[in-house]
Amino acid sequence: MTLYDARRRKNMIYVGLCYAASAFGLVWLAWILGALIFKGSAGLVPATFTQMTPPPGSAGGLFNAITGSLIMSIAAVALGTPIGILAGTYLAEYGSGSKLAFVVRFINDILLSAPSIVIGLFVYQIVVVPMGHFSALAGMLALAIIVIPVVVRTTEDMLRLVPNQLREASSALGLPKSMVIQKIAYKAARAGLTTGVLLAIARISGETAPLLFTALNNQFFATNINAPMASLPVVIFQFALSPYADWQRLAWTGALIITMTVLALSIVARVLGRQRTKS
Amino acid sequence: MIPTNRAGVDLPAKILVKDLNFFYGDSVALKTVNMSVYANSVTAIIGPSGCGKSTLLRVLNRMYDLYPKQRAEGEVLLDGENILAPGQDVNLLRARVGMVFQKPTPFPMSIYENIAFGVKLYNKVSKSELDGRVEKALRGAALWNEVKDKLHASGLSLSGGQQQRLCIARTVAIEPEVILFDEPCSALDPISTAKVEELIDELREKYTIAIVTHSMQQAARVSSYTAFMYLGELLEFDETTKMFTSPDKKQTQDYITGRFG
Amino acid sequence: MVDVMVRAPSVDESTILDRAKALARFKLGNAFFHVLTFSAAITVLVLLSGVILSLAIGSIPAIQTFGFGFLVTEVWNPVTDKYGAAAAIYGTVVTSLIAVVIAIPVGVGIAIFLSELCPQPLRQPIGIAIELLAGIPSIIYGIWGLFIFAPLLQQYVEPGVIAFFGPIPGLNRVFEGPPYGIGVFTAGFILAIMVLPFISSISRDVFATVPPVLKESAYGLGFTTREVVGHVVIPYTRTGIIGGVMLALGRALGETMAVTFVIGNAHRVSTSILAPGTTISATIANEFTEAVGTLYTSALVELGLILFVITFIVLAIARYMLMRIEQKGAH
Repeated sequence: MTLYDARRRKNMIYVGLCYAASAFGLVWLAWILGALIFKGSAGLVPATFTQMTPPPGSAGGLFNAITGSLIMSIAAVALGTPIGILAGTYLAEYGSGSKLAFVVRFINDILLSAPSIVIGLFVYQIVVVPMGHFSALAGMLALAIIVIPVVVRTTEDMLRLVPNQLREASSALGLPKSMVIQKIAYKAARAGLTTGVLLAIARISGETAPLLFTALNNQFFATNINAPMASLPVVIFQFALSPYADWQRLAWTGALIITMTVLALSIVARVLGRQRTKS
Repeated sequence: MIPTNRAGVDLPAKILVKDLNFFYGDSVALKTVNMSVYANSVTAIIGPSGCGKSTLLRVLNRMYDLYPKQRAEGEVLLDGENILAPGQDVNLLRARVGMVFQKPTPFPMSIYENIAFGVKLYNKVSKSELDGRVEKALRGAALWNEVKDKLHASGLSLSGGQQQRLCIARTVAIEPEVILFDEPCSALDPISTAKVEELIDELREKYTIAIVTHSMQQAARVSSYTAFMYLGELLEFDETTKMFTSPDKKQTQDYITGRFG
Repeated sequence: MVDVMVRAPSVDESTILDRAKALARFKLGNAFFHVLTFSAAITVLVLLSGVILSLAIGSIPAIQTFGFGFLVTEVWNPVTDKYGAAAAIYGTVVTSLIAVVIAIPVGVGIAIFLSELCPQPLRQPIGIAIELLAGIPSIIYGIWGLFIFAPLLQQYVEPGVIAFFGPIPGLNRVFEGPPYGIGVFTAGFILAIMVLPFISSISRDVFATVPPVLKESAYGLGFTTREVVGHVVIPYTRTGIIGGVMLALGRALGETMAVTFVIGNAHRVSTSILAPGTTISATIANEFTEAVGTLYTSALVELGLILFVITFIVLAIARYMLMRIEQKGAH
C-alpha cells in the first residue's frame, strides 16, 4: 500500500464522516418535525383555536393560551423594539468607536445568549414581588428584555451595512445628523431592521422559562395584564408533564403551532435578509 | 502662485483657502495650502493618488466633520467669513456649498422624492410649487426629458449616468452658491461622462464650481483654473491653459506629461 | 495683484435667513435624538447590572445561611430547609460538557461539509436546515425528548450500552443502569443537537475568512481535503472555532426546558451518566413556583446567580475569541 493510497483512504473516511455529520444533523430535524406533525396535526381543528384550555378529562382548545401568547409577545415587541433600535443606532451612528460602545456591545452579546430563566428570576424580583402577584405585565417585561439584545444586534449590523456615502450625500445637503439617520439610514436599512424584529418575535414565541414565574398561567381567557395570563409554552409545559392523554394531545398540537410559527418567521426573515444583500 | 487676470481686473474669489493644514489623527494630509476658488468659474484640482485633492475639497463643505479623528487648521473664507470658525453652522454652510460624490448615491426613494427631499428641508412649499422646483432641478441637470414620465420610480432604477445627474439635480434643487464635484465621472461610462461635463459647463454660469479629477484631459476640458497638488501640498495654481502648456514647476510638468501618476 | 473677496453674498440675505430658520427647527430634535439613543444604549448596561444586583440581593439569605458549603453540598431538602447546589452544578456542567463533546465534531464536520464538499446548489438549503435546529424552541426538544427519544433510548440503546460496559472496570460506573431512558446523558445529547448549529454556523463563517489562495495552493500541491482542512483551514481559524464552541457551551449551560423534561429531576450526583440528575435551570424551573419560605426561594435565586456567573464568564470568553477573529479578518 503506497503512502498515496493510505492518504486517500484516510481522506475518504474523513470525507465520509463529514457527510455523516450533516446527515446526523438533518436526521434530527426531520425526526422532530415529523413527530410534531404526526402527533400534533390531529389537533389542528377549529375547536383548538376557539375553546379554552380544559380541565383534565374534558375536550377543549388552546384559545386562551394562544391569545395570551399573542398579547404578551406583541407587547414585548412593542416595548423592546424601540429601545433595541435606538440602542443599536447609538452603537452604529453616534458612539461607533467609543469605549462605551465597546462595552455596550459586549454586554449586549452576553445578554443575547444569557439563560432566559435568569431573566425570569430578575423580573420576578423587581415586578412580581413588589406587586404581590403574578401578572401578564411581568411576563411582557421578561419577554421584552429578551427582545432587546436581539434587536440591538441586528440594528447595529444592518445600519453598518448602509454605505457611508449615502450618509455623506444627505449631510452634504445640510441635513442634521438625527435626520440623516431617521430619514436616510433607517430607510436604507428598512428590510434588515424588519428582519431583526421578526427574529426577535421568533425567539420569544417559544420561550417558556421567563414566563414560568412572571405571567404564570391562567385556565381562563384573560386580557387583564394585572393578572396571570396563559401562554402557549407554559400550557404545553403543564399539559405535557401531566398524566392526562387529552392534555398531552393538546400539548403536541400547541408544540406544532409554535414550531410552525417560528419556522415561518425565520424563513420570512431570511428571505427579507437576502433581498437586502441583493440590492 | 497668485493668478493674474489677463485684462488686469481683480478677480472675486468666492472661496479663499488660507494656510490650511489637515490631519487624519496624527498624520498630516494637507500642508499649508493656499488657494482661491473664483466665482462663476470651474476650478479643477488635479494630482496623483493620495495627494490630498479630495481631502482639500471636503474641507470646503466641512464634510470631514462627520469623522471625529479628522481635523483642520487654518482659515477657509467663504464670501469673507471663515467657515472653520467654531461657531459656524455647518448645516447652513452645506446648504450654500453642495457636493456631488464619486459614486452616484440616490436616496432610497423615488426620483421625485430625491429632489423634493432637499427642497422640503428648507422651504414650506405647496404641492404645485414643489412640482415646479423638482422640474426645474431636473431640467437644470439635463435629466427632465428622460425621467418626466417616471418620476415615481425608484432613484435606483436609473442607469449610472442618470443617477449621477439625479444627484446633481438634487444638489442644485436647494439653490447653493458653490458646487463641489469629487471625481464625479470616475464611475461613469464615456457617454455619461460627456453629458456630465456638458452639464458642469452649463452650471458654471450660475454657480461657483470646484472639481477634483484624476483625469487631466477632463481638467483641461472643463476648467478655467487648475490647482496641482502633490503629497499634501498645493504646488501650482494657474489658469488651466497656462498650466497645461507652460507650467512653472517641474513636478507639474512631469505629472502632466505622464512621467508619474 | 490681490485677490478681492466678495463681501456681500451672491445670494439673497433673506434666503440665508430663511434657511437658518428652517434648520433651527431641527436643533432641539437633533440633540434630543442623540440623548435618546444614548439612554437606550445605557439601558442595556442597566439591565445587566440590574440582573446581577437582584440575583445577588435575592441570594443573601441563602449565602448567609450556607456560605461556601452551598457549592459542594449535595443535600437538597425542602422539608428540613437544607440546600446544596452540588447536584445542580454537577448536572449543569456534565450535561453541557456531553453536549459540547458531541457537538464539536458534528458541528465542525457539518461546517467542513458545507464549505468544501457539498454540491453548490444544496449548500443554501442544507445550511438553512441546520440553522433551523437552533430555532426550534427548547420546549419542543423537551417534549420530543421525553415522549419519543427517551423511550427509544430506554428500550433499545441503553440496555445494550450498560451490558457492553458492564465488564469494563471504571467505565462501567459511568454507564451504569438501570436504563431509565431519561437522565444526564439524554439531556446532554439533546443539548448537543440544540447547540451544534452554533458551532457549525460560526465555523462556516470563519472558514469563509480563509483566503482562497491559501486553500488553492494547498489543493494545487495535491493535498487531500482532509489534509487541507487539517493543516491549513483549521489552524488558521482555530480561535474562531473555539469561540464558537464557547458560545455553544454558554447556550448549553443555560438551557432550561429541554433539560427539565428529560433529566429526571433527582438532586443527586451520580457517577453514571445514564442516571437521572438535575441542572440549575431545571431545578429553578421545577421548584420556584412551589417554593415556600424565604430560605428555599433564596437558595433557588442563589442557584440562578451561580448559573449567571458561569455563563457570563463562558460567554465573555467566547466574545473575546470571536472578536480576535473579526479583527484578523479585517486586516
